[in-house]
Amino acid sequence: MGFGNIKSKDGQKQLNDFLADRSYIEGYVPSQADVVVFEAMSGAPSADLCHALRWFNHMSSYKKPEMQSWPGVKQPLGNYGPKGGAPAAAGDDDDDDDDDDDIDLFGSDDEAETAAAEKLKEERLAAYAAKKSKKPALIAKSMIILDVKPWDDETDMTEVEKSVRSIATDGLVWGTSKLVPLAYGIKKLQISCVVEDDKVGTDFLEESITAFEDYVQSVDVAAFNKI
Amino acid sequence: MAVGVEEEVKSLVNFLGLPAYKVTTHGDLKVPQLQTSNGRTLMGLATISKFLAKSSASNGAKLLGTSPEEHAEIAQWLEYRVTVVDRSVEKKDVQAMLKELNSYLLDKVYFLGFHLSLADLVIYHGLHPVMCQLNFYEKQQYQNVSRWFDQVQHYPGVQQHLPKVVFVRNSLYTSFDH
Repeated sequence: MGFGNIKSKDGQKQLNDFLADRSYIEGYVPSQADVVVFEAMSGAPSADLCHALRWFNHMSSYKKPEMQSWPGVKQPLGNYGPKGGAPAAAGDDDDDDDDDDDIDLFGSDDEAETAAAEKLKEERLAAYAAKKSKKPALIAKSMIILDVKPWDDETDMTEVEKSVRSIATDGLVWGTSKLVPLAYGIKKLQISCVVEDDKVGTDFLEESITAFEDYVQSVDVAAFNKI
Repeated sequence: MAVGVEEEVKSLVNFLGLPAYKVTTHGDLKVPQLQTSNGRTLMGLATISKFLAKSSASNGAKLLGTSPEEHAEIAQWLEYRVTVVDRSVEKKDVQAMLKELNSYLLDKVYFLGFHLSLADLVIYHGLHPVMCQLNFYEKQQYQNVSRWFDQVQHYPGVQQHLPKVVFVRNSLYTSFDH
């Protein structure tokens, strides 16, 4: 992929980034690679591209005959610079840096690989972010089973149930109910409901139900399940 | 004085292609001493390295610079090595030094600009223990120093006995401008 159009600002920016941690285009000595890139440039890069400018000035300090004697073989401009997965880039990877390959434990000189890995990473991050942003939209719900106990065996349990079911609020849906015998003919009302966690809490339910104090002695939460 | 200053003088002798000299260190501060062929003793790293560079017919002239300006600059960096690099022991001193060098090296390949000089060799040796201690984050933080250091250690003949310091070619951290 190379630097793209080296005469354009964009191409020079790429050259600048590439040269940030390098003194030469390839390896640690000036080579024909530098000559090719240098000759392709139309003039000095602007001052804000300090790395490219440093390299450019460095190259300018050499004379033409000197440059001819540098090692290396001239290749097309596109073969130099950051490797962006272009087919030409695959072959010329191990040319010049014979001495640092074995020591470069963490750094891979293969920019294509890095770029691909980075892209993959970005995609994953994006996917993760999307997933994460969706999550709060899912409403957390719970199923609660309440035990409602009357005062005595004379309490009208149908009236109790009617009162409980009369409690209506946003995020609260009443479910099935049944009467469970306790002792001495006293029955308790076991009623289930589904609530949205954010909107309805057990405290609210207990308070609302015990508000019917003519019928209700106490309310217990028998079961609480997240759905 | 940095540890291994004898080794440093010896590797400079090697680099310049000179015959072996007798090198010792003197005193608590480990000031290097070198016995010249006519029996005189030279003390101090700056003195010795200048002497060695002058003695070498082949490489020396280039290393010492060609113009009066370059001579002066090299003298300044030799002084810097002895007075700043070797005396920066505290973390904050080291960081201040690296910051200074980093901004100095922004637009330079070598200390004198575009060719290797004695200043590079002497500061390379002085900074080697410091660079060994840096983590990858710091190496990227002082990117210009890292680039220069990597360049010098790959210069044929410079590295010698010192272990190579590893630099990564990929940006690990994205929050830097330079």
